[in-house]
This record gives sequence, C-alpha cells and structure tokens, in this order.
Amino acid sequence: MRAFKRRRGMYVARLDEDERGVIAALVADVAELLGAGRIDEGAVSAGDGSPRLQLEPVAPPSDPAVRRLLPDASRDDPEVSAEFRRLTEDDIRAGKVARLVRLWTALTTPSDGHRPDVFAIDPVDAKDVAAALTDLRLVLAERLEIRTDGQAERLYDQLLTSPAADLDDDVGVELDPATRRYLVAVYGALSWLQESLVEALLTDLRAPGGARDTPRGRPPAGEHPTSS
Amino acid sequence: METLPDQRVEAQEETAVADPWVTIVWNDPVNLMSYVTYVFESYFGFPKQKAEKLMRQVHEQGRAVVSTGSLEAMEVDVQAMHGFGLWATLQRSGQ
Repeated sequence: MRAFKRRRGMYVARLDEDERGVIAALVADVAELLGAGRIDEGAVSAGDGSPRLQLEPVAPPSDPAVRRLLPDASRDDPEVSAEFRRLTEDDIRAGKVARLVRLWTALTTPSDGHRPDVFAIDPVDAKDVAAALTDLRLVLAERLEIRTDGQAERLYDQLLTSPAADLDDDVGVELDPATRRYLVAVYGALSWLQESLVEALLTDLRAPGGARDTPRGRPPAGEHPTSS
Repeated sequence: METLPDQRVEAQEETAVADPWVTIVWNDPVNLMSYVTYVFESYFGFPKQKAEKLMRQVHEQGRAVVSTGSLEAMEVDVQAMHGFGLWATLQRSGQ
C-alpha cells in the first residue's frame, strides 16, 4: 500500500489485490448498514436518485454506527431533530450509498495498465472518495468503541511503533482479539490513506486557480461562472 | 398602543438580519484535522487561516459555530456536514 500522490492530473495510490478486497468488503458492509442491500451481490437499492417527499416521520437509526452517519440535528430539541430527519435523511443516505457504490466499483474494477496495483482517482471524484473513507472510519471507530481523542491517538501511536504487538485493552474490548486486531489495522490503514488524499486535495484547493467549490453552491461574488 | 403595519414589517426584517440560528460542528475522535479543515475551506469557502482556526476550536474546545442564518439555511449546512461525516447540529443563536 502506498499513499495518494498527485500524478499526471490524477490522485494515485497503490493498493494490491488483497488490500482492495479488504476495503471493498468494508465498503459493501457499510452500504448494507445504510440500507442499500449487498453491492457485491448486485442488490443496490438506495432510491433512484429522484427527490422524494417524505411525509411520514423517520425514526432515528437503532444501530449506533448508522446513527453516527446520520446523527440528530439538534441536541436538545427533538422536534427540530425529527423534522430534519424527515426532510433530509433519505437524501443523505442515498448520497452516502451512491459514493460507496462508486468506490466499490473503482476498487473491484481491475486496472488495465501494466501496474495492477495502481489505484487512480479522478480529481472530480476525490472529494467523494475522501468522504466515503470518513464513513468507513466512522463505522469502524464505533465498532471499536473509540470514544476519545486520547484513544484514537494511542491507537495510531501503537500502529506506528509496534503494529504486530497486542493493543492496550482500551478499544474494542467486546470484540474477540483477532477481529479487534483486524479492525484496528484496517482503521489505521484507511486513516493514513485518507490523510494522504486530503493533503493532496488541500494542496490543489489552495493553489492559485485551485479547485475551490463555490461556497454552498452559490457562484462567488464578483466572479464569472464561465471564467476559468 | 397600536402597532402600525410598517413597524411590524421592520421588526420581522430585524429578526432575519440577526441570524437566529447557528450551525455547530462538534469534536469527534475520528475525523482528521486536515479533513475538517478541507471541509471548512471547500464547502464554506473560508480562507485557510479561518478554516484552521475553526478546526482548532473544534478540536481543543469541543465545538465551533461555523455558520449563522435562518433555520432553513442552517438545515442545508447541517445536511452538508452530515454528508461529509462531520458531527454537526443546529440551534438557536445565543443558547
């Protein structure tokens, strides 16, 4: 595995077949948690992309990992949270599933070049890949019961200094040790991969004439939308 | 005292100008500092310094107000933050 770098107009990482398989399986699991069916069995159903008017109240997700992906919009006003969920949850869910499906497709489509481990992301897709990596890490962290910055930092330190050693009985104590080691290793790898992609995104965003979004979808004041 | 129609309109406009709602982003142990900064810069269009200041505020103080406006506008921002995987809420300004 090698981190993302900007190369010939693309963001390029190196992921071998096993690494792609591990990440793709996790992508499929998270999409299923979001109600999409199994991507790897071709059973995706996250709406057809057309906006729907949700009239009925939507109950908060019971799985804490899904609830972290689709959190309450208010800490103290259940009415605000319920109304927000009714208005937005279907769209947020569909958006998350759609980008997971694209990431899964990218991971499982063999690259046709002479380097089969080359994993190249087009800059227009890079933000969605970074966001999908966040959703994967949020679910892993919930399963590992990472609750504090301190736990997350100790986990990174241990992965850096002694990746093969047993971790403190700090995170994921409910899991069996093999599962826990596996999830921690995947979490660490995805964090490292995401960090490299986000650093590349930030560099390009800050470059003169960089790929800055129009804030909140509005054209920036004083700029012609057609100018480049 | 009778309120004239003009004054009622004025009062409503003042409420709108006062940005009655805010979007708050909360600290979590998962999101990378670089990613939070990237979201603040790319979505809100904040310059690097402001984005990094707000990111540090989230990380060190546990929360930061990232936008203010009407309830509807804050719902749009919170929805976008949840899309990015950030933990965001909205609430009335001054609470």
